[in-house]
Amino acid sequence: MKRVVIALAAGAAAIIVVALAGVATGHRDLLLILLRGSLGSQFALEGTLLKAVPLLLTGLSVALAFRAGVWNIGGEGQFIAGALAAFIASPLGVVAALLAAMLAGALWASIASLMRLWRNAPEVLTTILLNFIAIHLLGWCVNGPLQEPSGQYPQSDVAIASLPSLGATELHLGVVLAVLAAIAAWFLLYRTAEGLRLRATGLNPHAARGAGINIRAQIVRAMALSGAMAGLGGGIELLGVTHRLFEGFASGYGYSGIAVALLAGLHPLATIISSTFFGALVTGAGELQRSANISAQVATLGQALVILALALFGRYRAHD
Amino acid sequence: MLTIRDITKSFGANRALDDVSLVVAAGEIVAIVGENGAGKTTLMRIVAGELAPDSGTVTLNGSVAMVHQHFMLVNELTIAENLALALPPFGFATRRAVENVAEATIAESGIELGDVRRRVGELSVGEKSKLELIKAIARRPRLLVLDEPTSVLTPHESEELFRVIRALAAGGTAIIFISHKLPEVLAIAQRIIVMRGGRVVAESAANALDATKLADAMVARRATPAPPPARSIGDVVLQRDDLTVRAGEIVAIIGVAGNGQAELAESLRELPLARRAGFIPEDRTRDGLVAEMSIAENIALSESSWRPRDAVQRAARLIETYAIRAQSPAQAAGSLSGGNQQKVILARELDRKPLLLVAAEPTRGLDIESTRFVHDELRVAAAHGSAVLLITSDLDEAFALADTLHVIYRGRLSERLSPVEAAERAPALMAGVA
Repeated sequence: MKRVVIALAAGAAAIIVVALAGVATGHRDLLLILLRGSLGSQFALEGTLLKAVPLLLTGLSVALAFRAGVWNIGGEGQFIAGALAAFIASPLGVVAALLAAMLAGALWASIASLMRLWRNAPEVLTTILLNFIAIHLLGWCVNGPLQEPSGQYPQSDVAIASLPSLGATELHLGVVLAVLAAIAAWFLLYRTAEGLRLRATGLNPHAARGAGINIRAQIVRAMALSGAMAGLGGGIELLGVTHRLFEGFASGYGYSGIAVALLAGLHPLATIISSTFFGALVTGAGELQRSANISAQVATLGQALVILALALFGRYRAHD
Repeated sequence: MLTIRDITKSFGANRALDDVSLVVAAGEIVAIVGENGAGKTTLMRIVAGELAPDSGTVTLNGSVAMVHQHFMLVNELTIAENLALALPPFGFATRRAVENVAEATIAESGIELGDVRRRVGELSVGEKSKLELIKAIARRPRLLVLDEPTSVLTPHESEELFRVIRALAAGGTAIIFISHKLPEVLAIAQRIIVMRGGRVVAESAANALDATKLADAMVARRATPAPPPARSIGDVVLQRDDLTVRAGEIVAIIGVAGNGQAELAESLRELPLARRAGFIPEDRTRDGLVAEMSIAENIALSESSWRPRDAVQRAARLIETYAIRAQSPAQAAGSLSGGNQQKVILARELDRKPLLLVAAEPTRGLDIESTRFVHDELRVAAAHGSAVLLITSDLDEAFALADTLHVIYRGRLSERLSPVEAAERAPALMAGVA
């Protein structure tokens, strides 16, 4: 209960500070535009949900890893790996493309867990470095082998498969898939022995081992699972929204997933709400840029404020 | 020296101390005994200034140092560096200076600790507790509080500790000594204070008491010990080098802490047999339970399936069977007292009817009632056909339970000893002189 209050307060504090920043710089109606741009119309609402989908999946990726005590900061790279694989597998159909995305995300993350097992290399470092490799790999692909035939822009052709739309909206089936993924992650964590072991490994690896749990295997599986979620996010973003690969494809979704997961207290179902909150923030910030000429970076400000508030008052404070 | 008047302290609804008063004179050795949860540690933390009382006063002439039950050492640093952290600054802290000061400090304390350049992480628990004691003495306190200082020491090391304590007291330092071990309390203390349920229930000169009277005062009711169930020894379950444990047999490994007991217990986890073995770890807060998880979750950890409702039912049954003092199966394991945490571990490991049970220091830091319970359960497990390997530095425990003993010294096991043989030869074998 206390955690919920702290999370809500952190979200509210971020909004208030953003609004105050608006007032201080002469934009008294900043909050109003933010609200209108994110929730005020069907178009705005659809935009919010579309942004929430990749955030939900990278948020779940972070939540699963952190629960197991695995510090996967590589959501960005796994997201890209997923999108690349989905693009390459798209001739085989949308299902195969999404499966390929999950597999690629899992494999990309597993490079980090292999290095951890082999030389005890901290995954906090290796996953970040793997992000850079993925970003440049994508850059090379869209300037080289996967560039559109016209060769005009550094981007790929349109992927052959795509996710079906939901009725007459901008929304695609990925919205449903992401929510199902959250429910699946919740079920895994709280209703299966695997989830119990994963949580125990994160809370006290010594005691987990004492109870006969193979914590090395647990870490590998948690990392792969986490990577698969981020990879799925990349695949869905490609097949549902962008349809093309291009430089800057991930645009920070991997890192934003950390804020999403922390605000949700690493709870998969709460991640649905926190990703929608951040999705609204990003979408509203886009409207600010269009109609009030305020940089959309204000969304990043909001995100940073949430993390700061949680770091100061939440349960992620360092133990002394 | 120290005057405590009418101290009361509550944690939530739980009244830890109820109107406690106590006076300790300079040079006096006072022991405080009592069951787990009697309020001993809380009282001492108030004396040391770590906790504030709800009401009452503490008057102290001079400085106080407290040696905690749990180590407060930096494992990555050496003995010398850990000591330097505890001492007032002394000029440039070159490695040479730090080591010289450490050696001088240790020599002055009268405690033997060997090479000061060793990393603390590599020390045995016995050596770590000696280092804690040296740290405390080095501050030259007028009052020294020791919380369960001998729980990880061998008889020889305890003797060394007592010598140091007597010397300090002779020099005018007041000593407060918290312990569960009644014989040593009677041997070292001049005055004994018995606490129960947050109150001082008895206070007496040590020479007016014996262990039976003391135990009577500590424990409200006195349960008659269950007669050991008849056991039949069966097939060999564990056979490795010199070590053989048969079904229904209790084999004890005794020795000075840090002679390879941890490595032995660890290596047994690697055996194929480990899948059907139960383990009671030496360090139960670290290796035993996930403090943040519920009792039900902790009990289900070694299961292959997890259904919350079934797990809660099973935990409720075990809470009843093992008389675990808990509010519900959903209570966080970390919020239980030490004795009840150990019962949860026992319940989990024994409920699977293990072929082999490896129990490392299973009663360390437990009160009389919990210790008796654990001993009974180990006997019952053997009677039901488990092969029990008891690794302990508590000789009383080993002799109370074991059919056969081995002494471990520098990683090597002695031959099999009957209890009679062991009683005669153990001291020499443990010291490595036989």
